[in-house]
Parts: sequence; structure tokens; C-alpha cells
Amino acid sequence: MIFKKNIINIFFIFLLQFVMSGSYAVEPDEILLNKKKELMARNISKNIRCMVCQNQSIDESNASLARDLRILIRNQIQKGKTEEEIYKFLTDRYGDFILLKPPFKLTTLALWFLPLAFVLLGIFIVYFHNKKSIKL
Amino acid sequence: MQRHILKIPFIVFFLILLVFFYLLMIDRNPSKIPSALLGSKVPNFEANSLFKKDKFYSSQEFTNEITLVNFFATWCKPCKDEHVYILRLSDEMGLNVIGINYKDKAEKTTKWLKKLGNPYSKIAIDNNGQIAIDWGVYGIPETFVVNSEGIIKYKHVGPITKKIYKEINLLVRGLQ
Amino acid sequence: MASTLGNILLWLSLLFSVLQFFNSYKKDNQNTLKINKIAVNGLLASILLAFFLLIYSHVISDFTILNVVQNSHTTKPILYKISGVWGNHEGSMLLWILVLAVFNYFLFKLYNNKNTIFISKTLEVQAFITIGFIVFTIFTSNPFEVIFPSPENGLGFNPVLQDPALAIHPPLLYIGYVGFSAAFSISVATLKLNIVNSLPWYNYMKPFVLAAWTFLSIGIALGSLWAYYELGWGGWWFWDPVENASFMPWLLGTALLHSLIIVEKRQSLQAWVLLLAILAFLLSVVGTFLVRSGILTSVHTFALDPSRGIYILAFTALLGFYSLILFGSNSKKYFNNNYFAFFSKEGAILINNIFMIIVCSTVFLGTIYPLLIEAITNNKISVGEPYYNSTVIPILIPAILVMGVGPILSWGKQNKSEITKKIFPSIFITTIFTIIFFSIYRLISPIGVVGIGLAFWIISNNLVIFFKKINRSFGMIISHLGVGLLILGITGSSVWQIEKIINMKTDAEVNINKYKIVFDSIEEVKGPNYLALRGNFLVYDKNKNIITILKPENRFYPITGNFTSEASIHTNMLRDLYIVLGDGNLQKGWTVRLYYNPLVVWIWIGALVIFLGGLISLKNNIKKLA
Repeated sequence: MIFKKNIINIFFIFLLQFVMSGSYAVEPDEILLNKKKELMARNISKNIRCMVCQNQSIDESNASLARDLRILIRNQIQKGKTEEEIYKFLTDRYGDFILLKPPFKLTTLALWFLPLAFVLLGIFIVYFHNKKSIKL
Repeated sequence: MQRHILKIPFIVFFLILLVFFYLLMIDRNPSKIPSALLGSKVPNFEANSLFKKDKFYSSQEFTNEITLVNFFATWCKPCKDEHVYILRLSDEMGLNVIGINYKDKAEKTTKWLKKLGNPYSKIAIDNNGQIAIDWGVYGIPETFVVNSEGIIKYKHVGPITKKIYKEINLLVRGLQ
Repeated sequence: MASTLGNILLWLSLLFSVLQFFNSYKKDNQNTLKINKIAVNGLLASILLAFFLLIYSHVISDFTILNVVQNSHTTKPILYKISGVWGNHEGSMLLWILVLAVFNYFLFKLYNNKNTIFISKTLEVQAFITIGFIVFTIFTSNPFEVIFPSPENGLGFNPVLQDPALAIHPPLLYIGYVGFSAAFSISVATLKLNIVNSLPWYNYMKPFVLAAWTFLSIGIALGSLWAYYELGWGGWWFWDPVENASFMPWLLGTALLHSLIIVEKRQSLQAWVLLLAILAFLLSVVGTFLVRSGILTSVHTFALDPSRGIYILAFTALLGFYSLILFGSNSKKYFNNNYFAFFSKEGAILINNIFMIIVCSTVFLGTIYPLLIEAITNNKISVGEPYYNSTVIPILIPAILVMGVGPILSWGKQNKSEITKKIFPSIFITTIFTIIFFSIYRLISPIGVVGIGLAFWIISNNLVIFFKKINRSFGMIISHLGVGLLILGITGSSVWQIEKIINMKTDAEVNINKYKIVFDSIEEVKGPNYLALRGNFLVYDKNKNIITILKPENRFYPITGNFTSEASIHTNMLRDLYIVLGDGNLQKGWTVRLYYNPLVVWIWIGALVIFLGGLISLKNNIKKLA
């Protein structure tokens, strides 16, 4: 497994490193040793929006803010905070926008309730249709 | 009854288009997010100061005058662009401007400020970005206006432009 | 020169569309047909020429044209110079109009001596749509705008978009979106003229819906395929607003397609079909609005421009208000009291329809809700993947269950014992296959069992239909089988993905599933317009045989200054091995992200099979019409 030294353009590698030093999503040095805690961190991260990206979670993003938030979440988990506490911490600072799963609030009542209403309406239509067909 | 059901698609469509039309008409930036901290007290934090040996304690600031807080860094080009307005806010308007140096190197910042001018009464160092997170900062430069009671009244994301400078001007006069 | 010619051709196409619009407005007479023939062919010819002219300008790098300057470069490979024509806003509008003109032509071909008034009316509506798009293009998005003085070279092009899948993705999607315009025109004509039973308007509609739906399916799939191998974390659907904008017409298109079957057989659900045809196209246009108006930001949005947004919105309003008000007043005649039984083929199709519409409504709700909230409260919220996973997936599960059994049922009422007898073989096969599957892959999870069970449910039902010769609709069987394969792939890759993120120095090894990966070396590579750092990773199976060498790259494109990361993927029928090189250096080592993605290839195979099934059905349908 020989290392191809003479072809390496050292400057080029440094250039790439420098620009991509935002790190590429979850980095090995962020990963918690406790598997349960790490899973919790990943699950929370998947629900937190990367504020400087287009429609990505901080779990997927390589932005430096995403990394900072991933580390912050892991620190809080190590301190023993619960999921709700961590979400509250983040929404207190960044607003509800940072949550990819919309919160259950008065303003999102319609968002969460309407799909259920649609299903009930669908069931009603089928039932109504069935009833009418039995009559005939 | 059936006749009225048939009108529902039109009504729903009409309402939705109304919303779209409204959103197009108002002057909005689709990528701008309103601050969650407006109306709240300033976050509590302490940090190293850039020029002074003593630490920076947020509890000691923001107590008796209107203060601006500006997150900046030497590696951030828009920060350089807006610097002239920060200087104007500090010099011409005599406002107390606190700088928070985000993920930067002390020597670089010192040189940068020497070259471009230092509008900041105090500068706190935020090496790991935690102060920024406490303020809900997601993309520097960001500037906050805090009133004399320590309540955050205004936030602007991005460089201060002429238009924003005027806005801040008006706001500050209103607070005084 | 090219610019002048291009503009002339655009105005010419507008002229022909206007001719078609006013011509059809008159009553039926021999001249209507002749003049429409001129209009239809003239429109197609002029827009085709304009399109080729734009392609030619890109290929020869004519930098007097702004569109070429903004989107091309002399070093771009010729394939991507061509695909770059429709990869930007103005060029893609030209493509929209071209596809409108092509479908316009096929609508014209429907003329026979019985339906002249009806087809003329349809062409009138289609002409109106075409006029709207041409006017929009000429005045707000003209691809033939000049730039003076013309620069030496263009502004290059995003290297991420220089890709074969992405090259063909827009044209396929547009055949989908625009195909629904023909269904829209037929629906509006049917309502306006109160056709009811005097003509089999639904027979005319079906091939267009089939064509649109088939190509929309493969267009969406190609977009997902591109995202999978390009974006670096093995994901292929993100519920991005623009993805949703393509998914919603697809859902309505599915409901529309199936409802047309019922209309043919039972003359039922006619009003439903008329409404769905209108809504499917309206959603396509609203989707266009969302992407190009600046109202949303997304990875997909084109340059933000509110003035364009206002135009599209106004045009959408015109189309929508007219058609929906017309529906409100004229659709009563299409209702009949042909209620049908729950336990029948029609019943199953109706239930499936309702599910498709519920899913579409939910996706629509999720997509526009942030905008609604912003308008009302001035606050911003996000509606992301977790929302859709909690709402759409639970609704799809019963829908797929019904989808399995529908084709097996007969038309007309059956009692429960008959049905049980019919579906018993497939229940048996499904159970066997599911058990076999989980004895091989021992990771049992509830959602995994459900997903695999559903996939085999669909596959076994369709195999039963095929071998027992229950149904002669070969295209349908193929497409449904495709859905089963798709679900297999989706379940496998979502539920059992293994991810490893580690730091590796050269000569380091890592194990994933039963494979051993050795980081052999790192080297610099030169591409046609990029420089890259490539990692060589040897992959060994459990018998210590080398299977492949994975070569992920980090690329730098000097002209645009872009950095990209190219994943390296090894695919087989059972899994993908997917590797991405992060940053690092010789001393500390590199961040390496490894994925084991089971059954992913079945997503793409499933989509392809759906596409083939659609094409078969389309061919049969066109034969029937002739």
C-alpha cells in the first residue's frame, strides 16, 4: 500500500482542506461514546434545521453553524438534559423555525389536525357511498 | 346542498391564491427569519475581552444606556463592508457599540481594527460560537439594538446598509 | 442575428397561438379545421426552430446572447452545453412552450367528423394556455436577450448540474406537467360545451393523462437518483417544496388515471375526473409559480424575481378561476346515481383515489403552511421531513394494502367469501416471502415488516393476476409490479441502512456489514475541467476476495470556484456500498463516511418498471383510439 508521494500537490490538498474545513456533516470527533446518547443526539439533530442551508437538517449539513449546534446538543445531553429541554433551548434562541417537525401549538393546530380531518372525510365519503349502493 | 359543494374547489383555490398574492405584495425576504429574542432580556454571558485584561460580563453592561451589539469577524467580507456604518453609529451618533468577535484570532482582529478604525467600546471574544448561539445568530454580521433596560428591541441579519442605518437611526431616536 | 431570429420565431409562435385561439372561437365550419391545421403546425414549427436555435447558440458559444453567457462556457462538454439550455429559467420556459406545442399537435390529431366542435373548443383552451406562457417568456424571461458588449467567455455553469441524470430530468418532468394541460383543456371543453354523454370525452383524455403520468414518474425518479449519488448522504427525497410540487400532480394524476378506468367501465365518477383533470394541471402551474416567483427559497428555485411571480400568479388565477367556476356551475349534469359496492374493483379504485387525494392535500398543506403562517402571524415555521413522515406514511400504508387487492377483484359486487378465495393465494405467497426475507435479514423492526410485507403483497397479487390471466391489462400489471419493487427498495434502504463515520489514515481498515474496507492511498487526479483529490478504498468480502475499489473524490472546478464531493458507489441487487471522502490531511487522516444501503437499486428498478408499464398502457391506449 504505497503512498503516491510524488503526485501529491501539497498546496492543493491544503487548499481543499481550508475550504472544506467546515467539516462534512457529523465528524468522527463529535461522536459520543455512549451509543444511546449518540443516538439521541442524532435523532434530535435530524429534527433541527440548518439555518444557513437550503432545507437540510444539522445532521446532514457541513456548515460550521451546524457543527456548533451538533456539539452543543451533545454537550447538553452529557449534562443530562431531556429532549424537550434541548428543543426549548434552541427555540428560545432561534424561534420555531429551527424545528423541522412543527411544534404542537395553537398556530399549528390546523397543520396537525387537517390530515386527520381529511382521513375522516374520506372514510365518511366511502361509508356514504357504500350506504347508497346498498339501498339501490 | 350539492350545488354548494361544487363551489368549494373554487373557494379554496381563491383563498390560497389570495395568500400568495399577499405574500408577493408585501416587502418580504424569504430567507430572513425574525428573531426569537425580540422583547426579551439580553442573554447572560461572560467572555474574555479583546483589549482589556478583565473579563467581559454581560450583567454589567446593558444597564443604563441604549447599546448596539455587533457580531463580526475579520474573515467576513460583509463585516468589512458594513464597518463604516458601525463607525458612524458609534462616532456620529455617539452610541455605545459592543463588538463580539466571532471565531477569530485576537492578533488579526487587533490589526483589522487598527486599520479600519475601532467603533467598539468593548469587545468580547467568542471563539467557539457559543455566545452567538445564545443570541440566535446564524450568519454574521448581525447587529442588535438593546434599550436602556437591557431588552433587545431590534435585530438585523447581514451587513448594515444605508437603508438599515437610517432605520436604526430612527429606532434609536424613538427609544431615547 | 440569432437574437433577432429567435425573437421573430417567438412572436411567430405567439401569432399562431392567437390565430388558433380566435379561430376556434367561431362556430364549426370547414375552414376552422384548415386554419387550425396551419396554426397548430405553425406553432410547433416556429417554437421547434426557436428551441434548436437556442441550442445551436449554446453549442457554438454565441456570447452575444445573454442566456448563453450566463449559463455556458467554452470548456463545457457538448452534452452539457445542450442540457444547459433547459437547465436555466429562460431556456426551461422555452421547453415548456415546446412541449405545450407538441401536445397541442396531438390534440389536433384527435379531429374526426363527429367531434369538430369539441376538439376546436379544446384547442381554444390549449391555445389560451400557450399564449399565456409565450407572453410570459417574451416579456419577462426571454432567452434571446442580447448582451453588449459580448464577453470573451461565459460564466461557466454549476458543475453539480453537469450530470446525465440531471440533463434528462427536466424534459421528462415537463412532458408530465404539460401533458396535464391537455387533460385540462379537454375537461374545460367538456364542461363548457355540456358534452355529457354525446361524446366519449374520457377516451380522448386518457392517453394524455397516461403520457403525462408516465413521464412525470420517471422524471421524478431520475431527480431522486441524481440526489442519491450526488448529494453525499444516501438520501433521495427531502420533501423540499419543489419536490413536493412535482409529487402533487403525480398523486392527482394517479387518482385521475384510475378514475378514468371507472368512467370507462361504469360511467361513474365523471365529475370527479373533470375536477381532477383541472386540479392536476393547476397544481403543475402553481408548482411553476412556487419555483420561479421568489416566494420560497429552496435548492431548486430559479433566480428570485417577484415581477415574474406576479405574472404567473395572475395567469394561474385566470386559469383557475375560470375553470373552477365553470366546474361549479356545469358539473351537475355529470353526476349519476351509479353508486357501487365497497367490495368490488370500482370500490377499491375509489378508495385508492381518496387516499391519493388525501396524501396530495396533506403534502399541499405542509408545503404552503409556512407561507400561511407567515402571512397571518409574521412568524416563520418549518415543515420538514418529520412532518411528512408522521402524516403521509401512515396514510399510504392502507392505500397500498388496497392497491394490492384491487386488480384482483371483479367489477360489480362480490361477497366476502368470494374475495377471500381470490386473495388467499397472494396472502399465502406474501407470508412465505416475508418469512424467507426475514430469515435472511434478521433485523426485525415493525416498520420494516410492514414495508416488506406490503411490497410482497403487491408483487404476489400481480403475479397471481398474471399467471391466472385474470386481467389482460399488461401495462397495469407491470406498473403495479414496479410499485411493489419500489416499496421493497424504499423499505430496505430506509430501515436497514448502516452508517459509519470514522477517521482513517492510509492503511487503516474498517468493517461494515460483512465487508472489510481498506484505505489504500490518496492521489491527485485531473479531470476535464476540475482537479480532484481521490481516495482509493479496497473492498473485501468475508472470503477475503477483493470485490471492488471505491474511489471517492473531492473536486475543485477552477472556473467557477466550486468545490464538490463525489461519492463512490458499488451497487448490486442486494445493497449499495457508498463512500464519501471528507476532509483531512496526511498527518491526522481523513474523515470517511461509509454507508451500507440495502436494496436501494430496487427503487430505481421499480421506477423504471413503472415507466415501462405506463408506456405499454399508452401504446395500447393510442391503438384503441385510432
